[in-house]
Amino acid sequence: MRAISRSILPLAAVVGLLGWTAAAHGQSPKLSLVSEGTRNGQWPSYAGDVRGSKYSPLDQINAANFNDLEVAWRFKTDSLGTRPEYKLEGTPLMVNRVLYTTAGTRRAVIALDPGTGELLWVHGEHEGARAANAPRQLSGRGLAYWSDGTEERILYVTPGYRLLALDAKTGVPVPSFGVGGAVDLKKDDDQDIDLVTGEIGLQSAPVVAKDVVLVGAAFREGFTPKAHKNNKGYVRAFDVRTGKRLWIFHTIPKPGEFGYDTWLSGSAEENGNTGVWTQMTVDEDLGLAYLPVESPTNDFYGGHRPGNNLFGETLVCVDLRTGERKWHFQLVHHPLWDHDISSAPILADINVDGRAIKAVAQPSKQGYIYLFDRVTGKPVWPIEERPVEKGTVPGEWYAPTQPIPTKPPAYNRNGVLPEYLIDFTPALKAEALELTKKFKFGPIYTPPLVSKVDGPIALLTLATASGGTNWPGASYDPETHVVYASACDACLTRVGLVQPPSKDLSDSDYVHGFANQPFRISRGPGENAGADATPPPPQPGSGGGSAFVFDVQGLPIIKPPYGTINAISLDKGTILWQTPHGETPDAVRNHALLKGLSVPRTGQSDSVGTLVTKTLVIAGDPQFTTTADRPRGAMLRAYDKASGKEVGAVYMPAPQSGSPMTYLFGGRQYVVVAVSGGPYSGEYLAFALPAESAKAGPTGSR
Amino acid sequence: MRLRTAGLALVGLTVITIAPALRAQETTRSVWDGVYTEAQAKRGEAAYRLNCARCHGVALEGIETAGPLTGARFTANWNGVTVGDLMERVKVSMPNDRPGTLSRSLIADVLAYVFSVNRFPAGKAELARQTELLKQIKFEATRPAARP
Repeated sequence: MRAISRSILPLAAVVGLLGWTAAAHGQSPKLSLVSEGTRNGQWPSYAGDVRGSKYSPLDQINAANFNDLEVAWRFKTDSLGTRPEYKLEGTPLMVNRVLYTTAGTRRAVIALDPGTGELLWVHGEHEGARAANAPRQLSGRGLAYWSDGTEERILYVTPGYRLLALDAKTGVPVPSFGVGGAVDLKKDDDQDIDLVTGEIGLQSAPVVAKDVVLVGAAFREGFTPKAHKNNKGYVRAFDVRTGKRLWIFHTIPKPGEFGYDTWLSGSAEENGNTGVWTQMTVDEDLGLAYLPVESPTNDFYGGHRPGNNLFGETLVCVDLRTGERKWHFQLVHHPLWDHDISSAPILADINVDGRAIKAVAQPSKQGYIYLFDRVTGKPVWPIEERPVEKGTVPGEWYAPTQPIPTKPPAYNRNGVLPEYLIDFTPALKAEALELTKKFKFGPIYTPPLVSKVDGPIALLTLATASGGTNWPGASYDPETHVVYASACDACLTRVGLVQPPSKDLSDSDYVHGFANQPFRISRGPGENAGADATPPPPQPGSGGGSAFVFDVQGLPIIKPPYGTINAISLDKGTILWQTPHGETPDAVRNHALLKGLSVPRTGQSDSVGTLVTKTLVIAGDPQFTTTADRPRGAMLRAYDKASGKEVGAVYMPAPQSGSPMTYLFGGRQYVVVAVSGGPYSGEYLAFALPAESAKAGPTGSR
Repeated sequence: MRLRTAGLALVGLTVITIAPALRAQETTRSVWDGVYTEAQAKRGEAAYRLNCARCHGVALEGIETAGPLTGARFTANWNGVTVGDLMERVKVSMPNDRPGTLSRSLIADVLAYVFSVNRFPAGKAELARQTELLKQIKFEATRPAARP
């Protein structure tokens, strides 16, 4: 252990210190800039505020001028690591006249001038083998800011799972925090984790509220885990000043703790994961934190964990200061579909039939908004326990019912029915039916099955592993009480189970796979891809089996819309509008078989981050397209938030890969978004109106 | 076509001096023009299984955020750029667990296999390994209208 900390810390490098200008502006930071949220034109937390809103009241950029936006600055991230990154997912902060974000395969922290993009400082951690072994590498999704009115800190989690506190003015680790500015998150976690090889990490941003830092945990993909008894993803809170652990919440309960008996036959000891890998949310006034917990091992097989498995796929409300559980609601009993809870809960002060409710809204892969009184945990509208199909996988334990919200209705497809198959022409539909004849269809919560060569090969699912609203989450308008959620409507996952060929590959009785294909081990996004990754020996070829293409004549097998943005009224529990998001993919728009057919915009099959402002919902296309009037690229689009009508779109050279944020600086409103993909490496793009027209528009207080 | 194939084989030896001479052909050559051989795709299938299938799937369908290498989502990602761009991206960032370690000739074989699964036709000459040459081949998602 000592060797590790020695090898890391002396190498921890402030690569450049180019000066910092906030002090020169003569500003005295107010208390609780974080609590202030976006109301003064800043963006001090991952979601703008710690309430999960992704909302800003700015309106200099609006429907009348969105098309006038120009690239104000751009920041290429290639040099922040040993090679370029093509999966830049960060959302910057802008607070006290500095923009902060993570970037590059090293997950460097950078401070930029918000008006020009000029680099002010950069900090990178060289973690060696520890980072190379990490399950969640690359640049991560962001960081957190804290200030007591004098001192300012930036907090983030490294690929090697260490919580760092940096001086926001210089980028230098704060010596009084943890050990030399770092808390080793692999230690003091109520379980033994090898400091170099132990599987645990985090790509999301920590949350800071009221001097408390919340940190979750993430693991490798759970399709084919090597061991179902993996490390556990507990949630911890730390003192933002000292790094001292304040509390830990056991997402898999220990003996004697509430929920332990939902793991039958002592199986709580035999399973892992169940972390919080996405963003958490805090109500600073009530002193409550909301933890969206993911699936236990394995994603699609739970034979080693009979019982409902609290707090798997459960929204847990805890006391921010103590971690004491206040209430919880399990969205999926005995999870078998990789539904996780994939995005931040949203705090919403709503009004239902004249009754004011402090609510928490949880968007989901399932396309449901689960809506609760956030003080009591009582559902705002009934969430009914409905009987679901029992499966036949040997050794599996099945929950007889699953909770289904009665309102609002699901905003994306969450099962696969034959009517969801491509139907541009009868011939295409017939081909799709032929292609899927050995697969099982079914509504949400149809159970996974053992894959057979002669069929069923797999269960067809939407809104499971990649479906619905994923990690970018949703936005919330506190003025109108409307949630804006992007959703994938065509992210098809085929769920089949096979027995692993040997216990060396996996000790589970069943893992994800197909009887007509060789077994493989699934790897996670960003796993072993960071700056410190070293080459392991190649795996032996798995051999045999034939690849099959699950497209129909090069067209997606699921019919449009492929992806949507949805506006959902939390006061009424209704969907106000839905619009396909993203240009129709080239392969569809230009397809020979569709010539002469009128195909409305299909949207694109991804879940993207949204930003809501005074009048607009803003989100970029998640895929590349090339159209007659512009080169290959993607569009950053603005929708009238009241109607869903597209009111503007500006060109980006690559798809949106992070979530857009906005701020006011020097009288100009900026929108910053991370773009990357295909051959285009990660870049932060800042858009603003031309300086001359920005001056004419309304401004905020800064 | 035969002339072009011969030219490419030659260029493989003297890339820098001859590549400019190929400029005139840039606009006519695409993944639909038989830019790899069946034998190469066969080699590429084995290499794919060994190096790529863990994340992208044996059926190239992708797993969660390791994107698919077949179908509209894949072709959209590369439509309009060149096979050289694809080669560079793979060389720099793949495979996920040991980026930068695959040889260019192995990547060329894998690309040949990926092209075959995506139903781009095979031809008589192998896909080259040099990015400069591959930049002459345009990646087009849809088969162009009948070509002479």
